Amino acid sequence: MKQYPLFIDIDVAQQKKFNQNAYGDFFISKRSPEEQRLIAVLSDGLGSGIKANILANMTATMILKFIAAERNIAKSAEIVMNSLPICQVRKISYATFSVVDCSENGTVKIVEEGNPEFLHIRNGKVIPSEPKIVVSKKFPTRSMRTYTIQLEAEDRLIFCSDGVTQAGLGGSLFKLGWRRDGLVKFVEDKIEVLPDISCRQLAQDIVAEAQTKEPERKAKDDISCMVLHMRKPRNLLVFTGPPYYADRDAEYAHLFINYNGKKAICGGTTANLVSRELGLPITTEMFVKGHLPAYSYMTGVDLITEGILTLTKAIEYLEDAPEQIPDDAAGKLVNLFLDSDYITFMVGAKVNQAHFDPDLPLELEIRKNVVKRMEKILTQKYVKQVNLRFI
Amino acid sequence: MENDKVKIQICMGTTCFVMGAAKLQELEKYLPPQFRGKVEISAQPCLNVCQDSGYLKAPFVKINDELIDGATVGKILEKLEEIIV
Repeated sequence: MKQYPLFIDIDVAQQKKFNQNAYGDFFISKRSPEEQRLIAVLSDGLGSGIKANILANMTATMILKFIAAERNIAKSAEIVMNSLPICQVRKISYATFSVVDCSENGTVKIVEEGNPEFLHIRNGKVIPSEPKIVVSKKFPTRSMRTYTIQLEAEDRLIFCSDGVTQAGLGGSLFKLGWRRDGLVKFVEDKIEVLPDISCRQLAQDIVAEAQTKEPERKAKDDISCMVLHMRKPRNLLVFTGPPYYADRDAEYAHLFINYNGKKAICGGTTANLVSRELGLPITTEMFVKGHLPAYSYMTGVDLITEGILTLTKAIEYLEDAPEQIPDDAAGKLVNLFLDSDYITFMVGAKVNQAHFDPDLPLELEIRKNVVKRMEKILTQKYVKQVNLRFI
Repeated sequence: MENDKVKIQICMGTTCFVMGAAKLQELEKYLPPQFRGKVEISAQPCLNVCQDSGYLKAPFVKINDELIDGATVGKILEKLEEIIV
């Protein structure tokens, strides 16, 4: 099976300033699989509400497009810094920005202007980084910090707007705000307890914690946090359908069970052949959930479901993206997909003639078509890397 | 004492499920009192029958390894009466 490089996971969490209808901070990101590159920008607009949102949106979008087109991030940021307007009264930028340009080999270029300094976490501790300061020739009071760092597996980068570090500012408990030190301690403690915490969860926890520092939990400024995590990829192998040549059953059963990652089987015949070839028993539950047969268990396999009906239902859940994914076989399969980065489908090309019995009350799609639809939605809507292998 | 419960295996594969196995899962409810405790009902991911069954119809159920085709609650109870004398 193909060996995958590290996966760049990124997520953001935000809290609006109290009584505002729009977020004054703006986050935008872009992945380009061809270049194996991820660019993300976090921008804090001057003031709050819709005006700040527009300023931040404009700034972030401009920077993103510029950097995506240019290879040299520092040069791009300098040009953007020189061209963005400054508030004539306050003599500061209309919006701050933190840009991160990450490639799959772990080389990261960062440019920050106006936002608090980012955190680089390795082995549960924040490690320092040396910036190169670039002063704007056009606006001498303006400068930006640029960094080039090499990330290792499991490193995290945390960016935030000043709503996080200044949380609680002016209040009785945190006169100077939560400050970067407070954030560092919180993050280090959190990662010590939950070393595998997801980007989404960590970002949400930081924003929530910042909000608790505010008197009456009313955010005095927009609070935003962006977390980037360079992690080992989460792999999933889905075996569905018996191999076209029955004499290869044993070979594929062994390939399946020895896979490095999570494993799922979709299909009764497929489950039986794995069980038979490897001598592992299957236990099947006796209930119907959501009009689907129940799931089954086998040692070493994360999920066993029925085939076509479940796969079709799973596609429906992926398309509709309900708030609460139903707890049936298809729902469990969808959760496995959402928690994985690289998904391989081993699709048996053997067709079950009984599925074309004219007495069947409903039409069953051909497995190949179902899997292709699955691939499309997983790659396009959920940005997963999917690999189809027909056997 | 040997476990001499009658083994009833209901196929939960795609074809069987769609043709009625879903309803057969409620078999326990329909068991008359004299059969309760004498049968062991379980589900199987697939009994591998539908593809080569010729003219036999799904859903398939195995009672002590004997195959019942076009299984209904009635047919199963009939068979049970033969075995549990």
